[in-house]
Amino acid sequence: MKSFFKIFLKYYLKLITKLVIQIHRPLVIGVAGSTNKNFVKKEVKARLQELGVSARANPKNFNTEIGLPLAILYLESGYNEYRKWLPIILKAPLRIFQKDFPEYLILGLGTSDEGDMEYLLSMIKPQISIITDITQRYKEGFADMDELVREYEILARKTRKNGTLILNADNYRVKKIGENKPQKVIYYGQDQEAQARITDAEKIRTGQILKLDLQGEIKEYQIPKFGQHHIYAFVIGLIIKKVLEDKHGKQKDKGLPQT
Amino acid sequence: MFNRTKDIKLSIIKQIELEASKYPDAISLAQGIPDFDTPEFIKRRVEKALKRGVVAKYSLSPGLPELRELIEESLEKEDMYYDWEKEILVTAGSIEGITATIMAITDPGDEVIIPEPTYTSYREVINLAGCKPVFVPLREDRGWALEIEKYKQAITPKTKAIFYCNPNNPTGTIYTKEQLLELADLAEQNDLFLISDEVYKDFIYDQKEFFSLAQVPELRQRLIRIFSFSKAFAMTGWRIAYLHSDERNVQEIIKVHDSLVTCAPVISQYGAMGALEIGEENIAKFSHKYKQRRDLICHRLQRLKEAFDFVTPDSAYYIFPKISLKLAKKLEDGHGPLLTEQGRPDSWRFAFWLLRKAQVAVVPGVAFGPNGEGHIRMSFGRQENDIDQAFDRMEKFLK
Repeated sequence: MKSFFKIFLKYYLKLITKLVIQIHRPLVIGVAGSTNKNFVKKEVKARLQELGVSARANPKNFNTEIGLPLAILYLESGYNEYRKWLPIILKAPLRIFQKDFPEYLILGLGTSDEGDMEYLLSMIKPQISIITDITQRYKEGFADMDELVREYEILARKTRKNGTLILNADNYRVKKIGENKPQKVIYYGQDQEAQARITDAEKIRTGQILKLDLQGEIKEYQIPKFGQHHIYAFVIGLIIKKVLEDKHGKQKDKGLPQT
Repeated sequence: MFNRTKDIKLSIIKQIELEASKYPDAISLAQGIPDFDTPEFIKRRVEKALKRGVVAKYSLSPGLPELRELIEESLEKEDMYYDWEKEILVTAGSIEGITATIMAITDPGDEVIIPEPTYTSYREVINLAGCKPVFVPLREDRGWALEIEKYKQAITPKTKAIFYCNPNNPTGTIYTKEQLLELADLAEQNDLFLISDEVYKDFIYDQKEFFSLAQVPELRQRLIRIFSFSKAFAMTGWRIAYLHSDERNVQEIIKVHDSLVTCAPVISQYGAMGALEIGEENIAKFSHKYKQRRDLICHRLQRLKEAFDFVTPDSAYYIFPKISLKLAKKLEDGHGPLLTEQGRPDSWRFAFWLLRKAQVAVVPGVAFGPNGEGHIRMSFGRQENDIDQAFDRMEKFLK
């Protein structure tokens, strides 16, 4: 009964999600990687809001076969309670007619078994895909690291051809994914080849100061958070902003926390 | 032989529990454990991890990366910013985190200041580390408040840290932002560590405000904050908690942690992930229930006002009533009235008297420090039925 319900739910939500995506046509920014997805989503959302566009990100762990459609449809999860699922099932089709559907969806994409990414990408086609890093976390669902990396290769392959891949140049597995891709590829990190190159980072009492060389323009920023992953997330936000600025204009830019 | 352990006592709470177990009908308001079972979604998260075969091996010593990342996210919601990779350490219950912290930051002979009454095990851990606990009394007449002047007087060249529990066990007090900032100033002036045990911070009643010094970035090198999943998610048996501080401190504490336990139980780490992924609603449910029980226990204590005087707790699930002197003089346990040599109500003898007469187990206040003498701690982590029954029995003997 339980597994029958789950299968029904999975395909029902997928169907509604595909309809919603077709009707509202949001631009999708996919965020994948073993770590740091949630902080990246937050940063990207904040930067998009600075550009004055409407954006929605999926809540923390809504990045799986059931979670992703719920995030797109902006619905809660019923978790393991049947009675909680009933109103969700009824509400889902109403999203087709939703007014003010966001222009952008920032979606974390989780993969813990072979085929997960393929399934998620059967519902969405990202315009921009970000790969934060690839580590051995979640490796248990795969035969080896190569198989795990293939999941991310699928994401790169299925990103729109006129889209952008934003990749961590400090992780050699991620960096390699950007080779010979038709999309525009932007690397970030401390690596010499990164177009968004972090040239210096310093921890201070109240956060971190970083120097960023973004395609030849060097600026210094201060962020109120600790850890290299926040520097990465911040830089990704800046890249996204730059990529989208032309589309939405700079007039709405509220500025960044520059020192 | 046994030099290190000879002065360490087994917890008085456990002793009371042991004694209570001899009475088949005893009702225990002694142990600080929630009566709730671990929520189903946590169990399912663990089942899933078991099925995937990921719980059998050690994790990294500081804990599973995915759990630490979730912890960082949950801290961020409370305006605390710590790096999961270097500044968050998952421990085998909060007491392991406390032990590792004390061992890392002190040298034998150092002094650690503790506001009291407070949680019994702090003293033993400090003793175990070869240090000296220095008790500074809280002001009962001001709702068990910190009195900064007394801390100034207690500081000596040997003082290494001030270690407090906020909200406090056994009084249920929330220290105010002003009090805590004054304490932080004192720590800054005297180059002391601050250890903040905040395991009850999720159970706050009557919209009282809770403030943590971990919200002040300038204090991150001085402060070590400890939090446990035990109370918030009814996971006392899982032994899972975490601490966070600036990496300068955590990288030292982790050395002790690694020597003590290698890593926190991996199966429990998956449970903790479940708790953080979908546990917020559950905390609200528990908190609502505890508030009802607090109101009930206060109501029942009000009916025994000849026997007890009490401060209504703003948090946690404990109340710490004072035994009336008149009552203690009147009661008799075969060794005379229940008074100490100093003429205060003897909480130890009172607790045993109550257990024998009414078969109700409570914790003697002296277990929480010298200033706790003359009080008893009652837990309202138990169900309403148990609270009512315990008070029905007490009323027979105390009214």
